[in-house]
Amino acid sequence: MSSEAQAVTSTVAEVPLTRRFGWIWWIAFLVSGALVLLLGYTLVSVTILGVGVWGVNIPFVWGFDLINYAWWIGIANGASLFAAILVLRRHDLRTAVNRFAEGVALFAVICAGIFPIFHLGRPWLFYWTFPYPATFEVWPQFRSTLTWDFWAISTHAIVTSLLWYVGLIPDLATLRDRARRRAVKRIYGVFALGWRGSVRDWAYHQRAYRLVAILVLPLILIMQSTVAFEFAVTLVPDWHETRQPLHFVATGLAQGLSIVLLVAVLLRWGLRLGRYIDEGDIDLLGKLVLASALVSGYLYLDEIVSALLADRIAQEATFTRMTGDYAGLYWTAIVYSILIPQLLWLKAARRSTIAGVFVGISVGVGIWFDRFSIIVGGLQTDHLPSIWRTYSPTLAETGLFLGTVGLFAALLLLFARFLPVISMFETRHDEHREKSS
Amino acid sequence: MTQRLHGIMAEFGTPEALVDAVKAAKRAGFTRLDAYSPFPLSDLAEELGIRTTIVPWIAFVAALIGSGIQYGTQYWMNAVDYPLNVGGRPLDSWPAFIPSTLIVAILWAGAATLIGLLLVLRLPRLHHPVFAVHGFERASQDRFFFCILSDDPLFESGATRSFLEALSPQIVREVPACD
Repeated sequence: MSSEAQAVTSTVAEVPLTRRFGWIWWIAFLVSGALVLLLGYTLVSVTILGVGVWGVNIPFVWGFDLINYAWWIGIANGASLFAAILVLRRHDLRTAVNRFAEGVALFAVICAGIFPIFHLGRPWLFYWTFPYPATFEVWPQFRSTLTWDFWAISTHAIVTSLLWYVGLIPDLATLRDRARRRAVKRIYGVFALGWRGSVRDWAYHQRAYRLVAILVLPLILIMQSTVAFEFAVTLVPDWHETRQPLHFVATGLAQGLSIVLLVAVLLRWGLRLGRYIDEGDIDLLGKLVLASALVSGYLYLDEIVSALLADRIAQEATFTRMTGDYAGLYWTAIVYSILIPQLLWLKAARRSTIAGVFVGISVGVGIWFDRFSIIVGGLQTDHLPSIWRTYSPTLAETGLFLGTVGLFAALLLLFARFLPVISMFETRHDEHREKSS
Repeated sequence: MTQRLHGIMAEFGTPEALVDAVKAAKRAGFTRLDAYSPFPLSDLAEELGIRTTIVPWIAFVAALIGSGIQYGTQYWMNAVDYPLNVGGRPLDSWPAFIPSTLIVAILWAGAATLIGLLLVLRLPRLHHPVFAVHGFERASQDRFFFCILSDDPLFESGATRSFLEALSPQIVREVPACD
């Protein structure tokens, strides 16, 4: 037992503690760092010049800001939901992928949060959505989805980061105890909060961790529904549908799972963690992505059926989305998020790194087109000739989006560099259980 | 003059040996015990009589308080202090107040659980007598430690030490108290 446990701990723990990390990491980090600079540039420009630098205009009041917000939230929710279910089911897969599913969720929430704040136009006044006694004595209007969103994003960010951090504490203690340089030991030591691993500490830690995992389940259903409510409570024909929350929750789950698959495959390949994230784990993740793609497919069908049953105006709006100027977005979404994942019916595809990367990216792209199609395509049918125009993103918006992708990648790279991406204590626990059974 | 002790600690190579040691110490009548392991040992927690039922209670009470405050705030601000007529909807439009009430209940429950966890465990505490024990860094890797604390009524330096040595540990060490 001892020597085996030692082996697990050292493979995973050596990753953050090693001094050199290879040129692939550095290249990836420089590329994503450049994108983070681009993010800073686009945010400064929108702050100084205003939202006029974006391509949004009546009727397209929402463009890339909401598309990317909804997309990132989908990733965050899918990854959180997945992590929480694994913890609660005590599934073996949790040991391998839980930690970075939580990481993916946290970084995606950070990226998502940028968009609504800057889309306010005067981002420095974002705290006006918070009920505080202001000198002008007006309270926020709580019937507005904007205020629901404020609570939802901040809660999601706080609860996700707490869950991620509390799960990390015992592993930070391991890093503290294994670090060779005094400064490194001190840094991990401070963040480990003096964890001693006493049996009492463990009992409380596990109970609290599972309890918060339970809380994540309703949280993300409400959070994703809140995103959908922003569309559903408007009077726009294609948006004003009670099926909207279901569509966002289900497609968001597919997207979150596919990003977890992508990250799992890349980490397994890049950090040579094949023994801890084994073929069976990747195979199971592939099956989950496939199943969630089938659920998304069902919801696309449901959309058509709902439109057929709806009144003429709603019908026209939905079918314009499928056949009008933005039809390409709709069909691209279907191909990428539903048809391509069907590859995963093949066992060889589920087990291959290249296929995992391909399908993971493809579903992410597909759902991005779906959000684009809903937000822009849904607004296309209008009856005032003076506002017959189309929306296309400007460079400032594209740069903003690429910038958040860079920020996400940079955070993941730093995470992989400085923290254990696999829960070491869970791995030790599993190996012990296997050995004693 | 002898140094004041926090306790005496034995090191074991397997969790089974640790569990056996705890059981033996309980049979011998020791009550102030502490065990350290690199992963959760739920059976041992039961053996030591650790009850964690306070955790869900913290979450539940926090959720009630949080949701009460959130609903009350919305009601008071939009219906009492600054009545706001939006399209003739009732001032207390409760369905619209529900989403953020639920979310804030979860926020309170989640934050209270994890902050409460730190309070119950008295963390952060970067300095602790056990860290001074040579080899204790392996408690977070692959070794299992069992400590009989010096405030145990049966504690007596020499006798306790030989009791622990009889359990065939890898090594027994004294844990000096820190002042």
